[in-house]
Amino acid sequence: MSEWLAGLLSLGLAFAGMAALAFAMERHYEQLTGARGTPPAWRLRCLGAALLLAALLPCVWAWGATVGSVAWLGLMSAGAVGCVAAISAAPRWAARAACALGPGALLALAWAGIAQ
Amino acid sequence: MAKAQATSGAGQGGFRQAQAWLHTWCGLWFSWLLFAVFLTGTLAVFEEPITHWMTPEHHAEEAAALAAPAKPTASLGQRLDWGVAYMQEHHAGAGMWELWPADAKGAGELRVFWFDSQRQYASAELDTATGEALAAAGHAPARQTLGGHHFVDFHYELHAGKVGLWIVGIAAMAMLVALVSGVITHKRIFKDFFTFRTRKGQRSWLDAHNAVAVLTLPFQFMIAYTGIVISGLTFMPAGVVTQFGADGAMAFQAALNEPGKPRPSGQPMALPALESFARRGEQLMGQPVRAVVIDHPGDAAARIGVYGWNEDAGARQRLSPTSGLAMFSAATGEVLQVRLPGGVDGGKASLTQSVLAGLHMVAFGGFALKWLYFLCGLAGSAMMATGAILFIVKRRSRHLGEFGSATARVYRLIEAANVAAIAGLGLACISFLWANRMVPLGLAHRDDWELAVFFGVWALALVHALARPAAAAWKEQLGLLAALCLLLPLLNALTVGDHLGAQLLRGDWESAGVELFALATGLAAVWGRRSMARRKSIAASVRRSGASVEAEVKA
Repeated sequence: MSEWLAGLLSLGLAFAGMAALAFAMERHYEQLTGARGTPPAWRLRCLGAALLLAALLPCVWAWGATVGSVAWLGLMSAGAVGCVAAISAAPRWAARAACALGPGALLALAWAGIAQ
Repeated sequence: MAKAQATSGAGQGGFRQAQAWLHTWCGLWFSWLLFAVFLTGTLAVFEEPITHWMTPEHHAEEAAALAAPAKPTASLGQRLDWGVAYMQEHHAGAGMWELWPADAKGAGELRVFWFDSQRQYASAELDTATGEALAAAGHAPARQTLGGHHFVDFHYELHAGKVGLWIVGIAAMAMLVALVSGVITHKRIFKDFFTFRTRKGQRSWLDAHNAVAVLTLPFQFMIAYTGIVISGLTFMPAGVVTQFGADGAMAFQAALNEPGKPRPSGQPMALPALESFARRGEQLMGQPVRAVVIDHPGDAAARIGVYGWNEDAGARQRLSPTSGLAMFSAATGEVLQVRLPGGVDGGKASLTQSVLAGLHMVAFGGFALKWLYFLCGLAGSAMMATGAILFIVKRRSRHLGEFGSATARVYRLIEAANVAAIAGLGLACISFLWANRMVPLGLAHRDDWELAVFFGVWALALVHALARPAAAAWKEQLGLLAALCLLLPLLNALTVGDHLGAQLLRGDWESAGVELFALATGLAAVWGRRSMARRKSIAASVRRSGASVEAEVKA
């Protein structure tokens, strides 16, 4: 897998994962729904953790275990910064982007896996 | 007032308050230097593209080489023979010959290196069609420049050699202190993990400072720590001094880098043909030949070292950036030592240092990881900048009287330092690129003039920041920064005749990247200037509070 594709897929998954973790918190759930309410916290947290773990896959695939872990840590940071910026600017669009990027990146990853 | 003072001293209040005090002052006094180190270090990630942009004559050479019919390039064996012949004729007495026969594909330049009688590293380039030495004058750089290396050198030595290294090392230690005390001070690290509230004044600065710092904390910690480790033996010389004596640095380096280096025997022996050694070296280490180094050429104890090119796909997947190496005895052809790519001499400690240095310099992973480091480095710079600005924003509404009767004046100096360190450094960096196009070609020590412009503009920015009210200084410097950044492509078009469109058409992403980043910085400066203007009312209230501080102090 090319390094650029791996980086972008991992970044997409990291963004989606971080968004899921953010919307599991009442403060950001409220920003999303516009009303006070209890988010499905545990489900969102599990989803977020799973997406963040999935972000490791393309990294290890493209760079191997050592460099891949370094890239993964950095890309999780980058995804989180992007997520904070997106939620503060437009929480609904952040959620939509996460819903598109997470499954999209997973599909692309599966496609690349089958193609190989 | 009294309450503020009671909670603002070291060792007063609880553990967390003491840490907050440490974070504030350690962070503030080092933030300006650390911002400079971080921003230039971030630019240093793209040292080569910046150098490429700063040496446009080189582009013409490249294009000419592409257009001209390819010269017949000699084989590896032929190139090595030419190198040896040149050295035998001109530098037979040198204790070490270093031949760089070709690039990783067997083409490219043929260069030879040696130490001259003054122990200076010297080199010559040989024609790859005839083996004759190329006239050095023909290759003198038309546009003598430090290029992107300026940013590399500045970010770890401040162009001040060992003194600069120590200053940056101490600043890096202070950064580690500020990171740890900052984490302890931050009460709601997980609750505020994703929080950024815009347009809330001090709250927004604090959110921004927390967000970039917390979210990229692994990177910031790693980069400061590995930066110290790279020069660890300079900062902590006790181990070397114990083993090798007070003046043992050279002996230590020799023992570390040249283990088992033979002594000359005094018996002459002609150097055998090098090609078979080079080929065996390639087999043993699994990399194409980058350099062949001969110790004691012409002596019976001569040793031949074959070094590899780190350009294979494997090199991008290794944290340790060393290349392969195979050592042979010239007399017997016996293999003395083999080091696989990524390996080091000197055991686990050396390997650890090599990996940590590799982590700092991101030699692995290709351009995707360079960009990741670049973005994380920008986040680190933003962490310093927002922290320094937050210090003043926090004290605009309510001064804390830390400096007694001088408080208002010290705040004023701190604010001026903020402007000069943040906007002023940006001005200095972009002026360095402007100087590259404006300083006349062929001037003696032309590269020093470029450097003089960098430091000169920075000093002027400080003078300007001290002379003008803070809000005006911010606006004027950001405005100038925006202008210089946005006009950089125009300057390039006017002086060299190259422009973004042409760069993109010929696929020159290195030049285009430099100009696109300059444009992005320019737009960011415009945005910064406009949001300053929007907060005019805040600036007015600062003046008022400044006046009230002075009134209070006089009272």
